[in-house]
Amino acid sequence: MTILSFRDVEQLSAFLDGQLTQVEMSRLEARIRSDPALASTLADLRQARSILHRTPKRRLPRNFTLTPKMAGIKPPVPRSVPALGWASAVAMLVFTFTLGANLLSKLSFGAAAPMLAAAPVTSEGYGLGGGPAPTAPSASDNTQITPTPETSLLVIPTQTLSSETRQVPPSATPSPKAKFDFDDYWPYLWLGLALVLVAAALLIRKASVQAFRRKMSGKRNQ
Amino acid sequence: MDESSLIHEAQHGDLDAFNTLVLAYQDIVYNTALRILGDEDLAADASQDAFISSFRALNSYRGGSFRAWLLRTVTNACYDELRRKKRRPTISLEPSTDDGDDVETPRWLSDPNATPEEQLDQAELEHAIQHCLENLPTDFRTVVVLADIQGLDYTEVAAAVKKPLGTIKSRLARARLRLRECLQSFRELLPAAFRLEEERGL
Repeated sequence: MTILSFRDVEQLSAFLDGQLTQVEMSRLEARIRSDPALASTLADLRQARSILHRTPKRRLPRNFTLTPKMAGIKPPVPRSVPALGWASAVAMLVFTFTLGANLLSKLSFGAAAPMLAAAPVTSEGYGLGGGPAPTAPSASDNTQITPTPETSLLVIPTQTLSSETRQVPPSATPSPKAKFDFDDYWPYLWLGLALVLVAAALLIRKASVQAFRRKMSGKRNQ
Repeated sequence: MDESSLIHEAQHGDLDAFNTLVLAYQDIVYNTALRILGDEDLAADASQDAFISSFRALNSYRGGSFRAWLLRTVTNACYDELRRKKRRPTISLEPSTDDGDDVETPRWLSDPNATPEEQLDQAELEHAIQHCLENLPTDFRTVVVLADIQGLDYTEVAAAVKKPLGTIKSRLARARLRLRECLQSFRELLPAAFRLEEERGL
């Protein structure tokens, strides 16, 4: 009985699996017939292989099919969603700028208003077509003028104007409370538009996700 | 639909086609992972991870045995689990014998129609095999599981473990020798049918 080398064991193992060439196989078969050690080792290997073939198969604890989430598949994004998102961002920017500009103009106008109120105002240049106006006669002067139909036409409006323009009324700056000014409110229209666009984008996205889920669960149930 | 068409569809992102492949191969994938890892929960995790990785890496499949390609993914997932297990060793919650071995129970076995005696025989055989497999180095264990338990040929095993044929032959021979020695110590536990085979010299 010979002592087997690992090469012999390897050959016997390959012989069991039919992995030897025809020449190697016939040579090994001849050796097996003449060497009981080889025959015994071959029997041992065959037995081990036979036991392993009988290994019971376990039942699966669950199915391993993938869900879209596991597979990293995201529902398709409708084309309108990014467009709405961008439009909303633009509307938001416009809102920020217009609101900022409005606040700045109010602040600067508010600072200039007391100066305007303090400045002496004459009838000159107060919106009567520009250019130096003839000095308006004072009220006391008017009493000395004998009114003629022509002069009365000229004087009466001047008198009215001079009494109105003798002092700049403190309420020269238009009050936002007193009067609706569209300039104060239109930035908020941009804000509203931005919010509406965002809401529309979210609704479309939600609808598309729901449609995708319905489609996937429908396919799985088929 | 045949396998190559399903693979082609799955490579183009068709999850249903891939899931059809999963249903066809999940049994071999799970049982391979179970024999390499020796733990049901870890095997289930490794199988799931393997299928997820396979779907993501499906475009790297360039033909050949799809089964071998899939089993390579699961053996890699098993190696990851074993490395993780080494870093964080856990204690089994299953009842154990005085020797520290887990007691296998018939409820785990695959054939619910088997008689209690058959179930017991199967449990003993499985226990003996699993014990001996776990005493093998991981590389040897993987090769013997793929070749002798799952029935892959040498070429498929070589593709699954990315080693040359010579290495597969050598590892398989060594693994079989060691298993034979180990299984001899379980001789009394092995099923009667096997003992008869042994006596006949098969």
